[in-house]
Amino acid sequence: MEIKRYLTRRIIQILVSFFVILTVLFLLFRLAPGDPVSRMIDPSMSPEDAEHLIAQLGLREPIWRQYLVYVKNFFTGDFGYSFHYGRPVLKVIWEKLPNTLLLFTSSIILSALVGIFLGKIAAWNKGKPLDSWMTIGALVTHTVFLPWLALILIWVFAYKLGWFPITGIISEEIWLDPDAGALAKALDVGHHMVLPMATLFCIHFGSYLLIMRSSMLETLKEDYILTARAKGLRESVIRDRHAAPNAALPVVTSVGLSLAFSINGGALTETVFTWPGIGRELVFAVSQNDYPLAQASFLLIALVVLAANLVVDILYAYLDPRIRY
Amino acid sequence: MALLEVEDLSIGYRTRLGLHRAVEGVSFSLEEGKSLGFVGESGCGKTTVGMSLMGLLPRNGEVLRGRVLFEGRDILSISEEELRLLRWKKISMIFQAAMNALNPVKKVADQISEAILAHSSSVSKAEASRQVEGLFQLVGVPKERMRDYPHQYSGGMKQRAVIAMALACKPRLIIADEPTTALDVIVQAQILEETRLLQEQLGISIIFISHDISIVADVCHDIGIMYAGELVEYGSREEVFDSPAHPYTRALLSSFPTLTGNREMLKPIPGEPPNLVDPPKGCRFRERCQEASHECSLISPAWTELFPRHKVRCIRFERKKGPQ
Repeated sequence: MEIKRYLTRRIIQILVSFFVILTVLFLLFRLAPGDPVSRMIDPSMSPEDAEHLIAQLGLREPIWRQYLVYVKNFFTGDFGYSFHYGRPVLKVIWEKLPNTLLLFTSSIILSALVGIFLGKIAAWNKGKPLDSWMTIGALVTHTVFLPWLALILIWVFAYKLGWFPITGIISEEIWLDPDAGALAKALDVGHHMVLPMATLFCIHFGSYLLIMRSSMLETLKEDYILTARAKGLRESVIRDRHAAPNAALPVVTSVGLSLAFSINGGALTETVFTWPGIGRELVFAVSQNDYPLAQASFLLIALVVLAANLVVDILYAYLDPRIRY
Repeated sequence: MALLEVEDLSIGYRTRLGLHRAVEGVSFSLEEGKSLGFVGESGCGKTTVGMSLMGLLPRNGEVLRGRVLFEGRDILSISEEELRLLRWKKISMIFQAAMNALNPVKKVADQISEAILAHSSSVSKAEASRQVEGLFQLVGVPKERMRDYPHQYSGGMKQRAVIAMALACKPRLIIADEPTTALDVIVQAQILEETRLLQEQLGISIIFISHDISIVADVCHDIGIMYAGELVEYGSREEVFDSPAHPYTRALLSSFPTLTGNREMLKPIPGEPPNLVDPPKGCRFRERCQEASHECSLISPAWTELFPRHKVRCIRFERKKGPQ
């Protein structure tokens, strides 16, 4: 089966990419100015603890041994201790990752779906005012400065109107209430999610709209669209069942590519909304010189982006039979 | 009454350089169950004629003059919705480059049954699927391949699938635009033969569009030769193929190889067709014509009837017939 070969190839490519990232990160952290020992060891530790950690991380060994230790530690899930939290890095990250995934998956999926839909409509009405407005709107929202947009949304909808909470992901009074059901808790998270999601959505749907629009315009020139029209199909059928599925393929690819960039924006979004996710943790770790936490956050983000790309590849194969068979 | 009657059809494309007069004053008629072939080089307007018969001209295309009577109804003046219902149900098409005529992300059988379902609300999905099975049998594609996607087909199979699709709604007229150009000679010959048999069996009229006069002569009862947007010779296959009158027709015949005839040097036709934004006065072929005289640039040649079923637009024949 072709699909097996395709996926195997993609998985191998992803593994190779990951090893490259792993190595580059190692080099970056070792090449940074200063003594690696002082960077990896919390100054407030007792000398015995510090010695123990130095031995564990192999910091006095030659660099290639350090690399091997680093790789081994990664595969055994041992990322060291966070300076700030004084807890294993993995535990800290493990708590934050689901929050990030929740926010990002939902806003990316939403913006891709809306972008595909609006891009389709814009292309179908090419040259009409509707198309111009959509294109201009997409360009404006896409180029808006994210923290500014986030702050404006907070100011209007959370502060002035009071419709949504200003920060955080949960309201303590609901989560500490023993009577609150799962639905109430979920709704509470949803309520907190609206503004950060709206921010990410605004920034992203425009690019999907524009990609879909141009892809759709290309698709509409294809011979099979002429065939569909000659067959006497309704215009809506030609648009939705013949043109759109083909035109959406490049958008799917771009979702995979834009994920990496959206994580950057994610650090900003999470910081502005105090969303307890991994992007905010990363910013925090860097500013606090919490090296073990920063290193692990980078790795995890890379891992998530690669995994998302794999999901996109599988989705692509599902949507395009030319890859499946 | 003829199934299709086209009178004085003129079509133009609006371009940045001005109105491109792609088809100029074309008239012909087609009887039920007969086949007619249009021959000419690229850009002579043969595809434009075909497209206009289904109301499928591109956005910048416009019918400038003329009437297209199909079953006695002028299809140039009916509404878009009436046109949609007419398409495929009455007139279907076998497209140029069958490779691209099928949607790559939909199963072949679904693309055919879709056409059936679009035109008869009483047919169930299962029934449509059975009909597609019958069509596959008719055109000689194994029915196990129905559930496949277009890219899994060979070129010949795609072509057959496209023919099956054209037959799906049992149309009265099929327009076949270069249906075999992309195929190798052997598959081409098979498909042409099968098309001819199908046409005879089912009694469908066909308009065959090709740049290859020998292909058209193989399948069609009548042949129309087009040059630079105009019909220049029109008649029965025997007349046009065996005793070509117009210098362009003769040039076309000697520029294609034949399988059965003597081996002769092929003679390309020197020069290029004229610019149709500003077509030349007089005969449009005169600049490439070996037999052109000064008169050819002055008078636009009129039709001269050579035989009851053979007419030509060349000034030399007007002269032979004497002054009108």
